[in-house]
Amino acid sequence: MSHKQTVLIVDDSQAIRDLIPARLKGLGVHILAADSGAAGLEMVRLHEPDLVLLDVNMPGMSGFEVCQALKNDPQTHDIPIIFLTGSDELLDKVKGFDLGAVDYVTKPFDPVELCARVRAALRTKALMDMLTNQAQLDGLTGLHNRRYFDERLEQELDAGRRYNRSVGLLMLDVDHFKKINDEFGHPRGDEVLRRLANILVTFCRSSDVACRYGGEEFAILLAESGSEHTFQCGRRLLQAIRDSRDLHSVIGRPVTVSIGAASVQPGEGRMLPSVLVDSADRALYAAKNKRDCIIADTGMTSITSAAG
Amino acid sequence: MIRDPQRDLVASSGAGQAPLVSTLADDPDMAELVQVFVQELPQRIAAIQEALAEEDLERLTSLAHQLKGAAGGYGFSPITEIARLIEHQARDRMAGEMLRQTVDELADLCRRASAC
Ligand SMILES: [Mg+2]
Repeated sequence: MSHKQTVLIVDDSQAIRDLIPARLKGLGVHILAADSGAAGLEMVRLHEPDLVLLDVNMPGMSGFEVCQALKNDPQTHDIPIIFLTGSDELLDKVKGFDLGAVDYVTKPFDPVELCARVRAALRTKALMDMLTNQAQLDGLTGLHNRRYFDERLEQELDAGRRYNRSVGLLMLDVDHFKKINDEFGHPRGDEVLRRLANILVTFCRSSDVACRYGGEEFAILLAESGSEHTFQCGRRLLQAIRDSRDLHSVIGRPVTVSIGAASVQPGEGRMLPSVLVDSADRALYAAKNKRDCIIADTGMTSITSAAG
Repeated sequence: MIRDPQRDLVASSGAGQAPLVSTLADDPDMAELVQVFVQELPQRIAAIQEALAEEDLERLTSLAHQLKGAAGGYGFSPITEIARLIEHQARDRMAGEMLRQTVDELADLCRRASAC
């Protein structure tokens, strides 16, 4: 687990907000703190911590109310919660588990126990994250898989509609891939796909989503990208692939790709996954006729080529 | 007067004027934090005494609850125990002489609290 995990403390007592970070120092985690339930809720949504240490007894919004709100929100539902509760409030503990807390720590707490419980919760969270992540990745290339792509496409189009943003899509297919497999064997074919995936990863911005769409076909979802930007991105990508010695060295001669580009604009009333995918697919189909080129599907008719 | 065994235990453990040194006195990671906590004890006690004087038992319960949860973590378990008693007595609306005595005991303990 390479990245630093984040723990959020929500407690109205300054003495507790000071004490816990000192006690968790050895865990090497990033620590945030909020002094009320409402502030805590806001910070969870903003920072998506890996663990929330949540005081039960707070004026205003209680820890139980915060917990309920977090568990009812799909964005925060899976974030583990450890309740901080007085040692003689047995009912609190029972209620806390009912509400979906993973554990509780009684105040005043024993530092060794606190560390052990926090560490256990964080380890479970890291494993869950890994599993979720793996379920969304393509085993061969390490790119996102088709399932993840479908989910994200839906989300990006939603966001596009809501915030009035265009969404772009590049579909990419390896030319003569069957021939490569037949001539050099499947292991070499797989290596071509892996190195191509590396190029896509380097090429993408953090907001872009590169995935293996299936077989030798890849898709890149470009957030906030109109037709011109999408097309220019595709052109640069095509050039990067043409220039990649790392890729061509696998079979000792150039590996080329065909790219179809498409985008949808808000206000066109057609910001649907099928519209965007069909459009990019149509462009890719046209590009496949020429190979080693990019073609954009702008609306239904005009087709631009940037081959050569 | 009804005897409270827990109370007797606390009272006997904290008798006299000897300083109540934090059990974390030797922990360099904690020294500064404990010092801040000790510096803020007079304010806490003042707030608790004020709530008692005003017979604001709800506020007294809440202040005692907070002190209970914090003190032990800073190496002052005896303070946590007395604060627990106050919280319970105040929550059960046991105002009067008994509560006043317990608050006096707490004030005495806090006066003697020392970071090192
Ligand atoms: Mg509290």
